[in-house]
Amino acid sequence: MHHYVLAIILGAILTIAVSVLVGASNPDDFWLAAGIGALCAAYPALSLGARVFVSNNTVIRDAHGEQSVEVQWMRQAGAGAFLDVLVATIVVAVVLAIGRFQIEALPVLLGLVGLSALDAGLRYLAIRHRALK
Amino acid sequence: MKNNIAERRAGRSWTQADLAGALGVSRQTVISIEREKFDPSLPLAFLIARTFDCTIEEIFTAE
Repeated sequence: MHHYVLAIILGAILTIAVSVLVGASNPDDFWLAAGIGALCAAYPALSLGARVFVSNNTVIRDAHGEQSVEVQWMRQAGAGAFLDVLVATIVVAVVLAIGRFQIEALPVLLGLVGLSALDAGLRYLAIRHRALK
Repeated sequence: MKNNIAERRAGRSWTQADLAGALGVSRQTVISIEREKFDPSLPLAFLIARTFDCTIEEIFTAE
């Protein structure tokens, strides 16, 4: 349990340090800049903390993990998700072209990222469930 | 590919987790191979054969 506490402490220290640096570089909007810096730094900082203090104590790496069936499941899920995203992109492009709609690119791109991640995750779970049924 | 890993494993009184630990792969991998839903890679097939002190042909047969 104390590994997690140490990881959180390291993550918090790094996050605060980065946010203070970012805030100091923008004194006019210190708190806004510091907040954005903290948001950007929190995930990688906590990940680093977990890598340093948690992973070495809780995760035992399989000696030949790359030969495991999970790799095949991930490849199948990734390939299926790629095709889904490709089809979704083509359909959206055709609809936009025919309807002559004008939309913001950023939400569409973020939607595609979310769709691909969700699709791959759901496909992985389905493949795993089918294989172990 | 058909295989007799489950019989050989049972003959040694090993659990699937024991075999997975010996092979250095996940337990799901052993389950999938025994159910013939996953064909192991050639390096893993050699490792399995070495673990059971036999040849690949004695474990795996083409359907």
